[in-house]
Amino acid sequence: METVIEVKKATKIYRPLDFWKNDRTTGIENVDLAVYRGEVFGLLGLNGAGKTTLMKVLLGLLKPTSGEVAILGGTTNDIAVRSRIGYLPELPYFPKYLKVKEVLEYFADIFGIPRGAQRKKIGDILETVKLSDKADSRVGGLSKGMQGRLGLAQAILNEPDLLFLDEPMSGLDPLGYKETRDIIIDIHKQGKTIFFNSHILGEVEKVCDRVSVMHRSHLIDIQPLSAIMEKYGSLEKYFVGTVTEGAKI
Amino acid sequence: MSRIFAVSKYIFRQSFRNRIMNVLIIFAVFAALFSLAVSELAQEAEVKMVVDFSLFAIELFAFLTVVLSMTIQIFEETELKTLMLVMVKPIKRSEYMLGKYAGVILTVLMNAAIMTAVMMIIIRLKGGDPWDIKILAAVSFSYLGICVLAAVALLLSTVSTTVPSWVIYITLVYALGHLTVHLKNLVDSSAGEAVRVVVDFIYYIVPNLELFNLNDKINAAAGLFAPGYLLLVLGYAALYITVSLTAACFIFDEKEF
Ligand SMILES: Nc1ncnc2c1ncn2[C@@H]1O[C@H](COP(=O)(O)OP(=O)(O)O)[C@@H](O)[C@H]1O
Ligand SMILES: [Mg+2]
Repeated sequence: METVIEVKKATKIYRPLDFWKNDRTTGIENVDLAVYRGEVFGLLGLNGAGKTTLMKVLLGLLKPTSGEVAILGGTTNDIAVRSRIGYLPELPYFPKYLKVKEVLEYFADIFGIPRGAQRKKIGDILETVKLSDKADSRVGGLSKGMQGRLGLAQAILNEPDLLFLDEPMSGLDPLGYKETRDIIIDIHKQGKTIFFNSHILGEVEKVCDRVSVMHRSHLIDIQPLSAIMEKYGSLEKYFVGTVTEGAKI
Repeated sequence: MSRIFAVSKYIFRQSFRNRIMNVLIIFAVFAALFSLAVSELAQEAEVKMVVDFSLFAIELFAFLTVVLSMTIQIFEETELKTLMLVMVKPIKRSEYMLGKYAGVILTVLMNAAIMTAVMMIIIRLKGGDPWDIKILAAVSFSYLGICVLAAVALLLSTVSTTVPSWVIYITLVYALGHLTVHLKNLVDSSAGEAVRVVVDFIYYIVPNLELFNLNDKINAAAGLFAPGYLLLVLGYAALYITVSLTAACFIFDEKEF
């Protein structure tokens, strides 16, 4: 099995916001993790557990205080590696004054998608995320859920081999859940790897191959979904049990 | 290169959509009022005053354009966290920085060009020669001065964490940039050692924007501007911009999002 994400003893301690203060917070501590090609890997955890921090460390948006991170056999400092990943942040924000298609054109330019191919590519992506009728609307006029869809659109614009999704369902309606799930399943079918975290256990249950739990900055458990279902019967039971157990550490 | 261009296009569009061009309307009103006000004077004095005023106003409004454009940028980047999306994409941080710089100076270029056109129309109406090479050279050099200032503005934006602090820094640089020469002249002839050290320090750190002010020289008796001087100023601008942008890239490289 090819490893696409490899983390060794990664720790991220946030520096104090003002240098004279001493309010260091631990984002993640001593995280070891390996994610394999072609799997859908789910990360669970309570608010503030460190899920977003871990994802940003993987992406190179945060530099780990200590430890090592390898992505697709390299590091995200390498732009060749970055051209193969996609990222949907927790709360994606796009400038209000841009049109939906202009946002995607901007990123398509950065990805180096040739001008001639952009129209079709962007049209297809908007179709995928069900935003076609909004192509010429300003972002300012989109609902929160639609902005989330646009966030997903920019994340898959380059057909990434490795896709990071931070709370991809937040702000969506139930139909949005299903549509996002379908997109995840579709990308999974193409042999791509997906690393995502979500609070919506029902959705995680439907798409993940393996599930991990983060608690108070530590990655306390990783298990195949099938093993969890066999042992606990539902993801919720497993999650609540693991977090309660983890509260002791 | 195409990535740098993509970013500059984005910044340019950002300025445009956020109505930074409104600065121009204020400028036009200012210029029109001023030319009305001086219309009582004799014709030669009138043209000279229009030129003086225009050069001053174009530089000031170009500075305002930089401030407004970058305020929007810094706000987006710090408060709205738009950079998370861009920084994971295959673009080098230095490319992003250069793209921003190009976007800002293009925005200013467009504004300055329109303001210059307004100035030329007024000069023409007052019976002067709008194509006077000296006036056009003076405008170009004052634009060059703003390009230097924009590079410093970008550097300062990498060390400021809030919009207001950045506005204060860059306004100080703008003011000191015009004052240092005068301060230095003043201090060199009179003040004590300590004051002189401080003023010297400021003099060499802050860009000397008065270098780009050719206004005083327009009416000098001796023909065109000395080419040696112009070359020197060009070299100074190139050096200052290079150093500022390099430093900005270094600091930006260490940033987290
Ligand atoms: N930029 C930051 N500066 C300081 N502390 C932070 C920052 N971002 C997150 N934290 C802290 O790190 C911890 C983990 O946060 P986060 O990774 O956002 O959790 P999650 O995504 O699981 O809700 C929390 O205690 C949070 O307060
Ligand atoms: Mg989070």
